[in-house]
Amino acid sequence: MMHWRWTTALLFFVLSWGLLAEPKLEKFFAQNCVKCHGPEKQKGKVRLDKPLDVLFAEEELLETIANVLETGDMPPEKAPQPKDEAVADVLQILEKRILAQHQDNPLKRLTRDEYTHTLHDLFGVNFDFSGLLPPDQVEHGFDKFGESHLMSPHQVMAYLKTARFVTERLLPDNKPETRHWDFNASHFHGSKNFATGGGGDYRDGDDYVLTGFRPYRSNLHFSIDPESHDQFVIPAFGVYRLEVKAHSGKSNEGEVIGINLGDGRHPTNFQMIRRIPMPHGSKGFTLQLTLKAGDQLAFTFDSARVPGRSLAKKPHNGPAMRFSHMKVTGPLVEKWPTHAMQVILPKPDMKPGELVDHLALLLTQRPLTMEDRAAFVEIATRRKKAGASVIAIARSVLIALLTSPHFIYKAESPELTDVELAHRLSFFLWNSVPDTSLLNAARSGALGKDPSAQVERMLKDPKAGRFIDDFTRQWLQRDKVDDFGPDVRVFKNVRRMTVDSMGREGRELFRHLLERSLSMEHFIDSDFVMANDRLARFYGLPAVKGDAFVPVKLPKGSERGGLVAQAGFLKLTSTDFATSPIHRGSWILKNLYNENIEPPADVVIKEPDIRGTTTIREAILKHQELESCARCHSKIDPLGFALEFYDPVGRKRPEYRHVEELPVQRDGTTFTKKIKFTKVPIESAMKLPDGREVRDLPTLKAALMADKERILKGIIGKLISYAHGREVTRADRPYIDAVFKSAAKQNDSLRAAIHAIIAHPEFGRK
Amino acid sequence: MGLTSGIMKRRTFLKGAGIALLLPRLESLGQVVAGESPRRLLTVVNHLSFYQPELIPKTDGAFKNPPPLLGELSNHFKQLKVFSGLDNPAVQNGFGHTPCVGILSGYFNKLQRKNRISIDQAVADLIGEDTRFKSLVFQAGENLNFSQISWDKHGLPVKQIDSPRKIFNLLFQVNENEKAQQQVLAEDRSILDAVSAQAKSMEKRLNATDRAKMDEYLTSVREVEKTVKRRAYWADRSKPQVDYEIENFDRKSVDDYVGTLMDLAVLALQTDSTRAVTVQVPFWEGFKEPGLTGNYHDLSHHGQKPDKLKKLLKLEHAILKRINASLNTMKERTVGNSSLFDQTTTLITASMGSANSHNFDDLPALVFDSRMKSSGYWRRKDTPMSNLYLGLLQQFGAEGDRFGESTRAFDLLA
Repeated sequence: MMHWRWTTALLFFVLSWGLLAEPKLEKFFAQNCVKCHGPEKQKGKVRLDKPLDVLFAEEELLETIANVLETGDMPPEKAPQPKDEAVADVLQILEKRILAQHQDNPLKRLTRDEYTHTLHDLFGVNFDFSGLLPPDQVEHGFDKFGESHLMSPHQVMAYLKTARFVTERLLPDNKPETRHWDFNASHFHGSKNFATGGGGDYRDGDDYVLTGFRPYRSNLHFSIDPESHDQFVIPAFGVYRLEVKAHSGKSNEGEVIGINLGDGRHPTNFQMIRRIPMPHGSKGFTLQLTLKAGDQLAFTFDSARVPGRSLAKKPHNGPAMRFSHMKVTGPLVEKWPTHAMQVILPKPDMKPGELVDHLALLLTQRPLTMEDRAAFVEIATRRKKAGASVIAIARSVLIALLTSPHFIYKAESPELTDVELAHRLSFFLWNSVPDTSLLNAARSGALGKDPSAQVERMLKDPKAGRFIDDFTRQWLQRDKVDDFGPDVRVFKNVRRMTVDSMGREGRELFRHLLERSLSMEHFIDSDFVMANDRLARFYGLPAVKGDAFVPVKLPKGSERGGLVAQAGFLKLTSTDFATSPIHRGSWILKNLYNENIEPPADVVIKEPDIRGTTTIREAILKHQELESCARCHSKIDPLGFALEFYDPVGRKRPEYRHVEELPVQRDGTTFTKKIKFTKVPIESAMKLPDGREVRDLPTLKAALMADKERILKGIIGKLISYAHGREVTRADRPYIDAVFKSAAKQNDSLRAAIHAIIAHPEFGRK
Repeated sequence: MGLTSGIMKRRTFLKGAGIALLLPRLESLGQVVAGESPRRLLTVVNHLSFYQPELIPKTDGAFKNPPPLLGELSNHFKQLKVFSGLDNPAVQNGFGHTPCVGILSGYFNKLQRKNRISIDQAVADLIGEDTRFKSLVFQAGENLNFSQISWDKHGLPVKQIDSPRKIFNLLFQVNENEKAQQQVLAEDRSILDAVSAQAKSMEKRLNATDRAKMDEYLTSVREVEKTVKRRAYWADRSKPQVDYEIENFDRKSVDDYVGTLMDLAVLALQTDSTRAVTVQVPFWEGFKEPGLTGNYHDLSHHGQKPDKLKKLLKLEHAILKRINASLNTMKERTVGNSSLFDQTTTLITASMGSANSHNFDDLPALVFDSRMKSSGYWRRKDTPMSNLYLGLLQQFGAEGDRFGESTRAFDLLA
């Protein structure tokens, strides 16, 4: 592959030599750069004394050179500085060269999320397949990049197995038998206080009372035989209806029940699959879930506190969830043959060729070439000769198609065809294949001419929620908000559901801005936040009712508003009891400015000796003493330190609390781990490289707001990256600028930006 | 040499399917010929390394006053060579823990997410043909995909198994529905045939970059074809029975986790299910030793603070104790006419020199081999780890004189 790129680049270079042969460039490098990036030293493992053609072939290096010259990061402050005009000249040459580069956008395959939604939309199967496929590689924050999509024997095997799994369940030989199971309090089992054998969950008359949440422990599970603890196991794949009678006790607000898959007794591998809000006064819930054979269900009561470790068997006084009855029915068969069976086999006796053409078109929206078709037809014919039933033949063909590169890969022409354009659009906004309406618009040419009507329709469709969810999950790293649980001994009042709400806030802000066509500026700062009951209470805002997020106007003097004031961001960039200014600063640079910061290749991270340092600031500034670190850290650290008045869970704090664990003491009935706090003042003020001082959240937001254009362009860049499945480079500047201008005409609206991205000619190129 | 009826059945079946098949050399199945015990490789990688001041002796040569961590392995000092200061010149620092993926290859290609072949797989390619599994690689805990350290000869990731239960089932669980499985495997083969034909025809219509991607798919399909063939062969043969039960496994302590993984590794070798096993010490899990809180990763960033170091060393001692116990077991268990230990070369290494400073050089390596003439410690400052790997590879009969970034080969049996 390198070979090809190399030759193409070389060829291009030779052809355009007349235009680009600027001795200026070589001279500039020789005068200003080669001393540190040449034969004697190769700082950052970079050499600039190479012939221009060699240099020009290294696309990433060119990009880096242009970036450091533009920001003035290079030559370093101490070195003699070139004249501004000389830098501008060189930048212009580099820019021209970069713009001429063809944006490489290698072949992408379906991500796990796309695979799941595609099967849902094609066959109506509502099942999360991500547990069956290997995780997608993440590059530059997104899992949609073809460049990083690795194929391996392991991956192919997983596709084959998953295809078989799906197909056998979509096309069963016989109609599954629907069964019922009833469970009352005598069948329920919770967990006792594991450390002591006392306390915990208990049976109370007709109710089973779930009292607390111990990480990995407190889970209501149930068995068919009341005497046995053998957990109920789902017998066969299908849709199951759960009718649960439950109500909360000793609580005046809505609560939330979590449903997990896994063994309730040894939950090392839990998978949270659903959260069920239980508004105050609720008597239970009914819900349908698609489950597979072997699945085991368990309930958690998310809103409860993590209990202490009292040895005494005291009655429980805190909030509780009382379960009295549950009925499980399934697998449900609404009609026979099922919807999926009718879609797959619209006629009872299809000939092999007919079946293959029908399924191929269904799965890939494109007819197979004669050459490709033959292999599939042969599979069907062979099965038919062996006496297989039509259903069995369809299964074989479907497995083959679901494993084939036609389905797994999203092949794109240099200039996308109309159908390919529909696919790109659909994977962008729906994480799935296009529907009939979109395909028709594509085939009629309407989509290519003006996509706005389709984009509006798609954004209004509930499927757009997948884009909002998946994009914000990756852009804002929402799924990492709870990676480090806050230490319950230090953060006593932070409940699990508060943390869960923090993870949802970023998504809800994005949804609100998109739905209301509001300005992207609100990502930097705004006079409202999106909050539900718990988050409003956590932020100390006027009360909100219920688990759903609504915009809440901020009272005067509140520092909240904007992504950097969200507890979710502040928490995800912290560890279990300390904030990390470096994480926070680099998060801002990466995710708002869309800067590409990574440690240089030759950095030797010297073992930092942090003995004797008492504050984070001292410990971190020690790193900054090294010149090689200072280049990036002078940008990162001020942004991070300005946020030091916010603790690891995103609450305002007046000073640091240095936490120390004291040795365990055992005295009679309780053993507790004592924690000692020492207060240390916060020193947050620092200067950004351009001289502006930031010292707290308001000054930080003011500094970010001053960079509004750069940040909005950064966000647009993120959207483009996600939509195209590739990194955004300097060559994309005209594209980003056009989108920015177009959105600016409509008050920087997020919705307008998405429209502009899709309407831009670049969206129709590979 | 007697062919069992099972093998006859398979051969006929395969002829019917019209597919050429690489059958394992039959004479070596299940019976070890005297004097020709097979060689095996056990690789153990600890990503968080060990606290080297307490592991590495102060002076080169025989182990006179072994530091405390090394002392845990004193039973095997006569069969142990310890090296320190090794490095992987092609593995860059930075990027958090990601470079640990290059430990066994001595190479780390961040952008392509592909790598060079790892030593365990290079050895498995030489010795893995005759067993049910060519190799077994255990992941460092569940869902830790960045602990991918095993890479095949195409530079593609080798499947690593992430739970002790899965490993156990793979090795010893009886599959009750053999016939259905054979049918599935036969169908898998025709599907793989079809999709590789597709990929080939699709390739023609793609540009160079995309063609490279499609090539990766094709290569993967071909590897899966081989695996399916191997599975079809072994599906007719019953798995070994062992008297071992996996406890209810709740990730409580280092003993539970490392111990179980090591037990399974030894059982896999002992039953000749495979001859190359790679074990990784889990590093992102919250270990909880009795009387010790904090998680392993957190403690590894000890910042030289005495209380943290004390806890870290407690964990490291527990890890080495378990490894030592497994080496003892290998000496006790006889396979054919020699002990499992005698047949096995064991390598213990770390992907970092020190997890505190997050450096991916200055690496320690411990090699156990009953055939070595002299044991002891050698400091090998700035020597490529690949030199050790090349020595290992040559011991297993490789003819080449290069591995990764090697400059020459260590003589590990001297």
